[in-house]
Amino acid sequence: MKNQSYKQVKRMTPAMRIIHWVNALCMIGAVATGLYIGHPYYATFIADGAVDKYVMAWNRYGHFIIAIIFDVTSILIAYLYFFSRFEKPYKKLIPNAQNLREFGAVVVNLITLNRVKKFDSAHVDSFNSVYFTLFHLLLVWMLFTGLQLYVHSFTAGTSSIGGWWPAFLHIATDWTIWASGGTIMDVRLSHHASMWWILAWILFHVYYQVWRTIFWKEGDIGIVISGTKFVKEDALS
Amino acid sequence: MTPTTDEATKRFTWKSASVDTNRGDAYYEALYASCEARLQAVRTQKAVNRLDLMEVLDDHGIDRRDFMKWASATTAALMLPSMFTPLVAEAAMLMNRAPVIWLELQDCAGNSEALLRSDGPKIDELVLDLISLEFHETLQAASGHQAEKQLEEAIEHFKGRYLLFVEGSIPMGMGGQYGTIGASGETFHDHLVRVAKDAAAIVAVGSCATFGGVAAASPNPTGAVGVMEVVKGKPIINIPACPANPANMVGVVLHYLMTGQVPELDNLLRPKFAFGYRIHDNCERRAHFDAGEFVEEWGDTGAQNNFCLYKMGCKGPMTYNNCSIVRYNEAVNWPIGVGRGCIGCSEPDFWDKYAFERPVADANIKAPGGGVEKSVDEFGLGMLTAAGIGIAVHAAASALAGKKEEAGANV
Ligand code: SF4
Repeated sequence: MKNQSYKQVKRMTPAMRIIHWVNALCMIGAVATGLYIGHPYYATFIADGAVDKYVMAWNRYGHFIIAIIFDVTSILIAYLYFFSRFEKPYKKLIPNAQNLREFGAVVVNLITLNRVKKFDSAHVDSFNSVYFTLFHLLLVWMLFTGLQLYVHSFTAGTSSIGGWWPAFLHIATDWTIWASGGTIMDVRLSHHASMWWILAWILFHVYYQVWRTIFWKEGDIGIVISGTKFVKEDALS
Repeated sequence: MTPTTDEATKRFTWKSASVDTNRGDAYYEALYASCEARLQAVRTQKAVNRLDLMEVLDDHGIDRRDFMKWASATTAALMLPSMFTPLVAEAAMLMNRAPVIWLELQDCAGNSEALLRSDGPKIDELVLDLISLEFHETLQAASGHQAEKQLEEAIEHFKGRYLLFVEGSIPMGMGGQYGTIGASGETFHDHLVRVAKDAAAIVAVGSCATFGGVAAASPNPTGAVGVMEVVKGKPIINIPACPANPANMVGVVLHYLMTGQVPELDNLLRPKFAFGYRIHDNCERRAHFDAGEFVEEWGDTGAQNNFCLYKMGCKGPMTYNNCSIVRYNEAVNWPIGVGRGCIGCSEPDFWDKYAFERPVADANIKAPGGGVEKSVDEFGLGMLTAAGIGIAVHAAASALAGKKEEAGANV
């Protein structure tokens, strides 16, 4: 067996990696605080009066701050989808023959347990691009439904930064009431149920990256830390 | 039910988002002048009954001072500046010039009950006593052809001037045959449409008349809907809640008598003066909510300390109504005050989506298209388990039969 040589390929820029980990941490925080808001699952064992402790208020505060960070990263990601100087993910989303073929090849690779692998794994593939986009869409839905739930705490359309803010939120998010079934309660249920879809998404995402690392032996799991992975020289040529 | 475009626009809440309580002096002065002129005109109209409010109040041991206190509170509730107090007081005394026809459709008569509240009536109820109820199916002595005739006469006599109060939902299933009325067996639907035709405005009271209410709860066997789904092209004012608060009924009639117009409405056609507030924001237990102090079980230490009822299913955070401010029975108490959560009775679909005695996260909801009832978390955990099993199977298969790429010669 000849000596196999590997080449290092760049896959994620520092900005992409930072966004990835910010998202991951935010996700944990959003789930922990969000579950508390939906059903306060721990009691406040503080004997002080209500004026001295703000357990629900802090949970809500944390949840909203995380939401704002998500807002910002979402805008950045949406920008990078189209204007990244590295790889423009939208190019992998266009359902042209080449992308469809690649998407199919990756699925075949997954279900044949890596016995068939007929695509170039040096670049981000169509399957993962679609899968990541699914996540961003779920997140966008969370942002819109979340902001719709949030805007109802501005009684009478005022806020500390003026009336324009709740008015803006209403215009931007009222459609979610209609889209989720007709009442504010449906928005709430949808917001909560979407969390479970996101958790299921994460489960498969983590598994799949570990699986790739083990079976492809190209160090895929390192992408999100070092920004690079390794591909066989002959595969590249 | 797929929402129609018309319905879809009703879902948009942005219009409801701003309650403007200060429109500037010029606006209020103009409004004052027009109200004054209108009341003058109303005064010259013949009273339809001989009831005199001051005498009625006197009979119940309520003096003028109490009445004026009520008038100023009502003025504030209508979001008008205090200079309107004398006009509100006068409008209350002229209530016997407001002809009202009251239809009772598919419901429990709870709103008529609230209107009458015969045991120890307060000023709100007494003022309502004064309105000229030309026709009220539940209360009147007449029946059969006689009642029919009375209704026709009332419609004819007060054509275009009467307020039509509607209580109860309209069953649309089976060609409307779930509810018929009168000697001719007219369906509720036809009955409502006929009487609505000549009304000045329609006031739908209670959750059934507004959104279908309990009668429209899943699976809605009678195909019950609210008035606004049936009557088109007429001003409609919705006063939901189960039952509607008499204070809000008085507010709407007073507003109409004074200004000749319907009050400013939100996206669900509810008057903003009453439904522009979220219960949660004016709840006396709110500090406990923010502190994370919740009643965990009926009668526990938290309950004894008036902790927040969120975990017992309070829907105050999603419900718009003024009961946390005006309360019921002349501000004696209200649901959250007596220690049970809000069930969101003034919101659409409240019976299916709000009225659980637990947070909505734990409530069993129907899967879209019916079927097994599960809570969101049960559904979510089920989905996660399914995903986990799929992954475990794939991982095991991969470990047994998967092909690892050549790792290099040195291994
Ligand atoms: S009791 Fe209900 S309305 Fe009051 S603070 Fe708690 S959740 Fe809000």
